[in-house]
Amino acid sequence: MFIKINSIATIGLETIPVDVEVDVAEKGFPGFTIVGLASKAVEEARERVKTSMVNSGFDFPSKKITVNLAPADIPKDGAAYDLPIAIGVLVASGQLEAPKKGTVYFFGELSLDGQLRPTRGILLLALFAKKKKHASIYVPKPSAPEASVVSDISVYPVETLKTLVLHLNGTTAIRKLAHRIVEPESDDTMWESDLKDIAGQEQAKRALVIAASGGHNLLMWGPPGTGKTMLARALPGILPPLTPAEALEVTRIYSVSGLLSPGTALLTKRPFRSPHHGVSAAGMIGGGSSPQPGEVSLAHLGVLFLDEMPEFPRSVLEGIRQPMEDGAVDIVRVSGHVHYPASFTLIAAINPCPCGYLGHPRRACTCSPKQIAKYRHRLSGPILDRIDLTVMVAPVEVEKLAMTGVSQIPTITTSEARIMVLKARSIQTKRFLGTGLYTNSQMKNREVKQMCHLTPEAESFLKVAAEKFDFSARSYMRIIKVSRTIADLVGETHILPTHVAEALQYKQFV
Amino acid sequence: MDYQCLPGWKSIPELSLLSDLPKPPKQIYYMGNFDPHIFSDCVAVIGTRRITDYGRRVIEMMVPKLVYAKKTIVSGFMYGVDQYAHQTAIDAGGKTIAVLGWGITYPLEGYDKKLAERITSSGGLLVSEWEKQKPTLWTFPVRNRIVAAFSKEVIVVEAAGKSGSLITATIAQKLKRMLWAVPGPVTSRVSSATNRLIADGVARMWLGEYESATPVSHDNPIVAILEDEPLTVNDIARKLGKKVEEVGAQLSLLSVTGEVAEKDGKFHPAYVHKD
Repeated sequence: MFIKINSIATIGLETIPVDVEVDVAEKGFPGFTIVGLASKAVEEARERVKTSMVNSGFDFPSKKITVNLAPADIPKDGAAYDLPIAIGVLVASGQLEAPKKGTVYFFGELSLDGQLRPTRGILLLALFAKKKKHASIYVPKPSAPEASVVSDISVYPVETLKTLVLHLNGTTAIRKLAHRIVEPESDDTMWESDLKDIAGQEQAKRALVIAASGGHNLLMWGPPGTGKTMLARALPGILPPLTPAEALEVTRIYSVSGLLSPGTALLTKRPFRSPHHGVSAAGMIGGGSSPQPGEVSLAHLGVLFLDEMPEFPRSVLEGIRQPMEDGAVDIVRVSGHVHYPASFTLIAAINPCPCGYLGHPRRACTCSPKQIAKYRHRLSGPILDRIDLTVMVAPVEVEKLAMTGVSQIPTITTSEARIMVLKARSIQTKRFLGTGLYTNSQMKNREVKQMCHLTPEAESFLKVAAEKFDFSARSYMRIIKVSRTIADLVGETHILPTHVAEALQYKQFV
Repeated sequence: MDYQCLPGWKSIPELSLLSDLPKPPKQIYYMGNFDPHIFSDCVAVIGTRRITDYGRRVIEMMVPKLVYAKKTIVSGFMYGVDQYAHQTAIDAGGKTIAVLGWGITYPLEGYDKKLAERITSSGGLLVSEWEKQKPTLWTFPVRNRIVAAFSKEVIVVEAAGKSGSLITATIAQKLKRMLWAVPGPVTSRVSSATNRLIADGVARMWLGEYESATPVSHDNPIVAILEDEPLTVNDIARKLGKKVEEVGAQLSLLSVTGEVAEKDGKFHPAYVHKD
């Protein structure tokens, strides 16, 4: 007997319907074959399906079984076809009635005892099923919450193969998962590091606020142990929460890469990725034989933090140039062409020299000028061109930390910073309504001219400064964009000379 | 760049100072436009490769004054104090002589090359007693005797215990040149030898003459506290109890008007030299 079961294949973030065709032939030598460009993981489904069926108390027919994953020319990967194949064999061998009502999708990995294991890509399946009328999906219970955020579909969390069969027979029904609306996170979330816990570095904190408000890329520069990493880790706390649409976009990426911990429905915090400098180009940009998202995509709509940036291989750094420009990456491999979004804020930390102590008040630097030049040369011009803010994170004297307690110096806290950022972002949302932009940093020259109005005094001051510091046309634009964000932070519609003057503090030193 | 050989330097009166040496060089190779007057009033500004911020401030204060007094700045072209002295002399519109620790044909690259071009194009000279010598351990001390011999005065800006500048200082002393040393913080390694030269009475103490950069702007609290020591934006904000964004904006305004300057994240008053 022949049966067709619905499932899906994912190529990047795209979803393609896959028909799992199962035929149990009365004639022929007993065997079990899977065809349709199946990967090793899919091939091995034979053993998992067979054993889990037997261990769940079903009969595995000793007949000639052929499984075809159609369309046959698209590569299939992953263990998610276990469940559709098992259901197909059960139906085709007459142990189960074929599901009749509406469009039904099966998706999930089986374990040998018949349990269903967490499977990646559930959210993509749910979003795909939503396009059909009265669709229902049967997915592993641990991963089912991912699907619960999608409306207009029935999500059945399946614990074991046995319970699923009992449900389909009409004996014991599985309860549908209720549709869930995920609220943006509340403010009382604990953050990894709070701005008020970092001693000194008021200017760097201010730069973080500006970066978070305008989506500007930030370069922090200073000797080891001055708090660069702590500052970067405080950034997620001051970023505005993801909007529901953004949350769905981010969760999709995490769903395909299998990084959602079981039970998670929707990611609400902006992602913060800090890859080690040993990362490969494929790990950073995305890749693999069936291309997986890289760090730039996992940091989509969030922060990509590169600690010790010059230590990253040149090829990796050059690789992030294109995503920084386009907000997306295209990965081309033998198995196909994949498009992943990758719109992130880059936070980079660098030491002033290889030994790290150049300009340190007490420790001598042991690098020669050649070494220093070589070290700085690793950051290519095109990368630096895309960094709007540069800030020096100088060593803080131990005595000063002890003397000036938190009470004595006015220091900004994470919750205060968050309120400022939210305010600046709402101004930008209004400004960019209908333009497809979200933040000041995304403005191109045309928008800068249209939307950044400098007062005549500010403009003449900027011109004098440009002459004095010998700005390129690009850095000129950068200063205006940063001034725009600074003006937004205080709610000014025009850019005043003080805003330009402050923006000048974050100009590049190289 | 083309170089020339000067075998008969003894016939040039301005170079007679070289004859003070027990073993004067046989010939002099040079690059640049040769004008014997450049040698008539030279001051050597020398010191460590590991220059600190303090050393830079001292050179920025000292060298333009020497240039204004129509002196030629002689130094050893090594990175650190030497190169900063050359560079500051050129920036101040003066002439400078770099005595190389290697042969004149030895290829330069990077910043060295740029600086060499600036020296020759600003009327200065690159000088060496060798044609094809590679830089090695012994060439630098040998070169130092020429630096000392050319100059009527030798100023050591910063030097650590075993610095090559001490060799120059010893030679200068033997040649009866006026030897100066710049006092430095006793906590700094690269000031230990200069302080020692002063303490032992070998060198005179160079005190400079502190002139306020902008006497009128003392009513600006930021410039006023920067007169005491170079500070970062954070330090200034903390001392004045102001917000860092306000202080930052103020500093930008002061930088554009040229009242303060920034180096490696620290601000200091810009030294203005009055005629």
